[in-house]
Amino acid sequence: MFAPRPAFSGGIALPRREPRPGELAIRQMPFAPGLYLPLRQHAGRPAVPVVREGDEVMRGQLLAEADDEACVPLHAPATGRVLSIVEQPDPAGGSVQVIHLAPFPGDTQEYPGGPGCDPESASAASLLAAIRAAGIVGLGGEARPTHARLRLPPEQRVGVLVLNGIESEPVFSRVPAILREHAADVLMGVRCLLKASGAGRAVLAVEPQDADGAQSLLAAAPASLPLEPRVLPARYPQGAEELLLQVIARARGRGGGRPVEDGTLCFNLATVAELGRLLASGRCMTDQLVTLAGGALRDPGNYRVPLGTPLRFALEHAGLRPDPARVLEGGPMRGQALASLEQPITKGTTGFVALERNEAGTPEPPMPCIRCGECVTVCPLQLHPAQLGLLARKGELKAMHEEYHLDLCIECGCCAYVCPSHIPLSQLFRAAKAQWRRRQPAVAGEDAA
Amino acid sequence: VTHAPQSLRLAAAPHLHAGTAVGRRLRHTLIALLPVTVFAVALFGLAALATLIVAIVACLLAERLCAPRSALGDGSALLTGLLLGLSLPPALPLWMVAVGGAVAILVGKHLFGGLGGLVFHPALVGRVFLQAAFPVAMAQGWLAPFASGRASELPGTSLAAPFMAPGAAYDGISGATPLAAARLGDGAPPIADLWMGTVAGSVGETSALLLLLGGLYLVAVRAADWRIPTALLASVAVLSGALHELDPARYPGVLTALGSGGLMLGAWFLATDSTSSPMTRSGAWIYGAAIGALVVLIRQFSGQPEGVMYALLLGSALTPHIDRWTRPRPLRSRGGR
Repeated sequence: MFAPRPAFSGGIALPRREPRPGELAIRQMPFAPGLYLPLRQHAGRPAVPVVREGDEVMRGQLLAEADDEACVPLHAPATGRVLSIVEQPDPAGGSVQVIHLAPFPGDTQEYPGGPGCDPESASAASLLAAIRAAGIVGLGGEARPTHARLRLPPEQRVGVLVLNGIESEPVFSRVPAILREHAADVLMGVRCLLKASGAGRAVLAVEPQDADGAQSLLAAAPASLPLEPRVLPARYPQGAEELLLQVIARARGRGGGRPVEDGTLCFNLATVAELGRLLASGRCMTDQLVTLAGGALRDPGNYRVPLGTPLRFALEHAGLRPDPARVLEGGPMRGQALASLEQPITKGTTGFVALERNEAGTPEPPMPCIRCGECVTVCPLQLHPAQLGLLARKGELKAMHEEYHLDLCIECGCCAYVCPSHIPLSQLFRAAKAQWRRRQPAVAGEDAA
Repeated sequence: VTHAPQSLRLAAAPHLHAGTAVGRRLRHTLIALLPVTVFAVALFGLAALATLIVAIVACLLAERLCAPRSALGDGSALLTGLLLGLSLPPALPLWMVAVGGAVAILVGKHLFGGLGGLVFHPALVGRVFLQAAFPVAMAQGWLAPFASGRASELPGTSLAAPFMAPGAAYDGISGATPLAAARLGDGAPPIADLWMGTVAGSVGETSALLLLLGGLYLVAVRAADWRIPTALLASVAVLSGALHELDPARYPGVLTALGSGGLMLGAWFLATDSTSSPMTRSGAWIYGAAIGALVVLIRQFSGQPEGVMYALLLGSALTPHIDRWTRPRPLRSRGGR
């Protein structure tokens, strides 16, 4: 009777560059002369090395094993020799062991794999074990071990799987590439995940530019596969999982899809495709699908990059121009500007943007808040960025978190994007959250005493 | 792996910006006020021009005194001066105009914390101060539209020396503004005159039509929230329409109510000031509607012929409360659904 409610209030329409024809194809990145593999590739505990300096390893061979439920094993991305295993500072804090692996230059780098598994005949438990053994983590950037997310307490049932086919930022193009080249892997991944989670059906969420890709993927699916598409109006930042689940639950879908009830699990489309690809071929995770974008690259696009490849090597392979202004890990809205390119590709990296001088504007000096309310209007979580910004300036961390729910902020950057006074709101919030987290244990201790 | 160091610049996300700026809003507001300013000078001649210049210069000097290195290049003080000048009677003694401009910036703006900190629109503060301090001069400084000699000489009152009785008696060219006339039972001028602006009144408040066009421009370029003037004017129209239905002889009709006094200037240019108005969309509706209701209330049931100025002040005083009532509820902590 009534038009469907808008998917969510707020958000912004970000300009989207139509990818050039060649950019969508997934290209294999060659092996760098040295690969650097931190043993913490994901959220949780680091893996424990099972090789020693000087060992020769085969591509796909176990390098480090998982000794903890929240951990996955790490496999050799190339056939070569372990040159060293040394403790190095971890960008996430503390330090971590890093395996330095030199691929053999003349090697064919073949990776035969093993017998694939059949989700219909396998048990859920054996699928979970296979997912863990393949070293799979969430490939949307958050890098949580996938098997751990699937292993739920028995009283908690999963009704629906949501496949997140929405780019975290429009600058990236992994989704159309996966839909074109990995349709069969996605379907295999869906079957494995349905079986492993016990979910009854799956929903593939995409934005209109990928609706055709989703349709042709579904056309190839067997009729018995309970997978339906959900095309959502393009709007940043609905690719963020926190928001997507809300959006899916509210949007009734144009095809008359049923509402998605509670008990949803959300997986990035890249995770699903990689999981399907690996379980079908009996391989383990040795590379990562990465979008390299930005005007400072002559050859931007989607690359399959061996884990451990130095970022500089990857960017130079994509035609990095001599003097980039800024290199971002992630997209322009949320990405962190890097001080150096000497970091390796890990399972947690999804894309990089190398900005030219004219793309990277100089930050304008902030002016006082004029209370225009633009940030309040665009905040997709319906927080109060203006008030939070004032509180941040005063260092009122407690009020920010307990009264104004800063913990819900996903740092999407919409507020800072629209602010006419150029107040760096998301930066203030990031800092405030980190400060609050550091203070939390002390507060808890006080309460206990 | 050794590489030559290079100059990667660091900056915090987001690395994109919508391209809006505070200065943009100001520029558009000045553009939107241009037609009515030109018309005012044509209508009231040298008196209007002198009033505007003195108001603006007073504001700029006061701003220079408080904030020598203003981030906006004094654009906001310029706008405050222009709005103050437009809202004053054209034959007001110029020294009073200067005092009003100084009060607007010193008290209305900087005493409250400057740009972003203010609670009331500074131009309103200046106007209200003059109203309270010099009620007689404010009530008698009117000029007839298109008076002869307006381009060559200033009315005697304009040049009155401070704190002296005005040298010349009030020229008596025109007794009263349309609203006051209606109140006195003299009958309102034709509605067409009211909207075109060929009536007595404040420097820039007479032509409702030009103000409406300026306001529509402001909204079209998204330099002002359309919800506030819409709610405000709708509220005035509904309430004064209802009163007119009850007693047509006593209460003016909708078009007269909308076209007279400082309503159009206030609705489009003063009420839409971002700092003194609520931040949320629903708050904007409440704010506009409340001011509209106050305008009708003051005009019809108080001792004052005109109520826009006080209604705007009261509305701004309500703003923190409206912001609290309409505070957004975070998406996740909503119950149900």
